[in-house]
Amino acid sequence: MRNVLVTGGSRGLGLGIVRRLAAAGYRAIAVARKESDPLRSALQEAERDHPGSLRFVAFDLAEIDAIPRLVRALRKEFGPIYGLVNNAAVGFDGILALMPTSQIEQLVRVNTLSPIVLTKHVVRSMMADGGGRIVNVASVVGFTGYSGLSVYAATKASIIGFTRSLAREVGRMGVNVNSVAPGFVDTDMTRGLKAEQRQQIERRSALQRLPGIDDVACAVEFLLGDGAKSITGTVLTVDAGNTA
Amino acid sequence: MSVRSAVLSQFKQVAQEQNKKLAPLSDDLPLSESGLDSLCFAIIVTRLEDALGVDPFTSTEQTEFPVTLADFIRFYEDAAK
Repeated sequence: MRNVLVTGGSRGLGLGIVRRLAAAGYRAIAVARKESDPLRSALQEAERDHPGSLRFVAFDLAEIDAIPRLVRALRKEFGPIYGLVNNAAVGFDGILALMPTSQIEQLVRVNTLSPIVLTKHVVRSMMADGGGRIVNVASVVGFTGYSGLSVYAATKASIIGFTRSLAREVGRMGVNVNSVAPGFVDTDMTRGLKAEQRQQIERRSALQRLPGIDDVACAVEFLLGDGAKSITGTVLTVDAGNTA
Repeated sequence: MSVRSAVLSQFKQVAQEQNKKLAPLSDDLPLSESGLDSLCFAIIVTRLEDALGVDPFTSTEQTEFPVTLADFIRFYEDAAK
């Protein structure tokens, strides 16, 4: 069973991703601060249908200094890591002029610094093991504008830049690095959207709707699979045509 | 296996795997002239962490880098103490 780490795997998009990967024959390892009720059900379901396909590891990804120890412990417990899905993120919105510096710092720490440091430690082991796949969850906000999301957008744009250059750096070691850029998806993170904003996004999308969690999870599964072996350094947008 | 022999065996193994021509390994060999590139060093550091349980380059305070092969070995010997 190929091991795939999914950060923020306890709810929202991350939970959708671990469910799909577990059903597709991977061992999905959900890394998150707390085990949520929906993750608990998913763990039971996975154990019943595909034993060993889903695991939970409690870890706070804002604890940057503890990341090397986490990766060492994961390799010891599960063996080589085939895939890494950097999905965990925080999504505070608010106009920049009023955003507390502590919140700006937290956004950058969780959405940019933490995935970069985690990737550093995981990619080293992938190179030593002869290859692997990294999928970074960005956002369409990384390349289009949305008022109130400037800092979040900065972190997501950084992830796309990180993806492209890292793909060039580690390609010859057999590691593929790609991003998935979801549009607005119904999760806890977008709960703050007003009905009116949501309708406006739907109306402006080619397919006249929002993408679902599973649409994004399918894109991640594709990029981890053998069918994507010649794809690296790219961004796969899953936004129902919102930015088309 | 001593730290020195673990380091030397990784240098040889990674050079072979990555098709790099390894310079003769002597203590005063500058790492930049060893024939290995930075990706090779990333692999060596990862494998040595598995073998020796230490990574002298991960500590947040660590800003110094070894210049010669002897420096590189000393970093590991000090970290393993």
